[in-house]
Amino acid sequence: MKQFFLFTFLFFTYSICAQQGISQVKFNVTVDEKPLELGKSYELLENEDSITFDVLRFYISDLQFIHNEEVVNKSKKKHILIDLEKPESLQIAINEYAGNFDKIRFTFGIDSLTNVSGAMGGDLDPTNGMYWTWQSGYINFKLEGRAKKCPARKNEFTFHLGGYQAPNLVAQQVELNINKAEKGFEITLPIDKLLSQINLTDTYRIMSPNHEAVEMSHLISSMFLVENL
Amino acid sequence: MNKKLYILFVVGFFCTAFYGSKFGFLDFPEHFPIVVYNLEKNPLTQEKINLGRALFYDPILSKDGTISCASCHSPYNGFAHTDHELSHGINDQIGTRNAPPLFNLAWQKSFNWDGAINHLDMQALAPLNDAREMGETTDSVIVKLQNSALYPSLFMAAFRDSIVTGQHFLQALAAFELTLISANAKYDKVKKGTEEFTIQEFNGYDLFQKNCNSCHTEPLFSSYELANNGLPIDTTLNDYGKGQITGVKADSLLFKIPSLRNLKFTHPYMHDGRFKRLNEVLNHYTKGIQHNKTLSEKFKNPIVLSSNEKTDLIAFLLTLNDSEFVFNPDNKYPRDILSNAK
Repeated sequence: MKQFFLFTFLFFTYSICAQQGISQVKFNVTVDEKPLELGKSYELLENEDSITFDVLRFYISDLQFIHNEEVVNKSKKKHILIDLEKPESLQIAINEYAGNFDKIRFTFGIDSLTNVSGAMGGDLDPTNGMYWTWQSGYINFKLEGRAKKCPARKNEFTFHLGGYQAPNLVAQQVELNINKAEKGFEITLPIDKLLSQINLTDTYRIMSPNHEAVEMSHLISSMFLVENL
Repeated sequence: MNKKLYILFVVGFFCTAFYGSKFGFLDFPEHFPIVVYNLEKNPLTQEKINLGRALFYDPILSKDGTISCASCHSPYNGFAHTDHELSHGINDQIGTRNAPPLFNLAWQKSFNWDGAINHLDMQALAPLNDAREMGETTDSVIVKLQNSALYPSLFMAAFRDSIVTGQHFLQALAAFELTLISANAKYDKVKKGTEEFTIQEFNGYDLFQKNCNSCHTEPLFSSYELANNGLPIDTTLNDYGKGQITGVKADSLLFKIPSLRNLKFTHPYMHDGRFKRLNEVLNHYTKGIQHNKTLSEKFKNPIVLSSNEKTDLIAFLLTLNDSEFVFNPDNKYPRDILSNAK
């Protein structure tokens, strides 16, 4: 009897999935493989430091599903602001899709053209705290927090990565291979891995478009992982 | 018959809808080049301009409610800050630059003296958030506007949405600023053939074309590029212009080339307001140029002007004063909107 219910349940789930396809892509940001909690103090072994994350926001643009090098599906919105204070922002709505795909592609950040196109609304509204005021340009990635080893005032580290003009083009394209045969997938950014590659005693503040911002953005874009469910 | 009437009505409706839309408000001068600003992304309506005008003159934009955009960009000064080398902000603070005049903004591709702002829409964010100017945050202004008695209805009229957003706030301000067009100076009337230069002005025009036009390109009287015009650094400010923003050596001491229109109203001159009179400016170009690595190539050959020639050149420059623009009542404090709200 139990088996029958299980079978029915699985069949039911399968048929829903088969009919509906995928309608969202979920992003995760993790520390020690668990979802990041803002404001919580983490003892990070690799850093030998206790670290608290206070703000984490970043832009994802032009999320696309690729099959045999062709774009087969994309996100509903061109630019998406992921804000750890708003858990719902981690779920990215896409056009419903049940077909094949072997790759996910997106831009980590905001493209140059959008950066010079004037005032925009929604996720791109300059009141989201992701737009510089002393010079034009979106902040693609904002990470603020505290670490005991960080020598800045109040031990605060501040990374505001942006820049849309050469040589400081900060937006990066990310491509992730994916096996569609799995039940589903999530995209994970293990943020503790970023900090394990930064020495917070001398790199703790990036707040303008420069070489350091490009390097760190490159580093982050290489850290996105696909995790099958 | 009924059908014809119906068609006539529909056509008539669309005509009235389009009459007085973007072309009605923005009277593009025929002798001006094509605008840079993309009006399709922010189409102008009278309601949007009204809102932008109210915002421009309202000190609600500053942290303590004392400073409006017009505090440093006064209509009677060609929207600059006459007699102030450096402009003022909240708590009697003094900034580091001379407030530039505001006109013909639709033709400009970068803003602020250092060119750090890439779009007219985004310019207002800079003074708004600068601690020495308005000392506010964009978010706080949005909240103040939303909670005011006046603004939700003005936003409703302008954008069919009473929710105040950063995008709409900035677009409305830009809409008003786009209407600040200076194109009715004597020079413009000469170009249109309705007035004539005096002999002295004509001589000055000739000198202008030989010596100044490559950077202060007519009819806007600026190429709106950035350049190093050989000013020695003021060590009390240590302002390196664009170089300060980009950190690139080649950008050191580059400042945005200002227009020569309305000089009568916009003194003192240069990014730090160091020259009070046009004579001092001309003397800089004839004998004050400091040669360094980023000096504009336009100064390869020195500018030589006799004192008579300087007088003629200034006579021409005065034909670029546009009183019709400076005293245009449509650009002034919107008493009808702002005083009703108080």
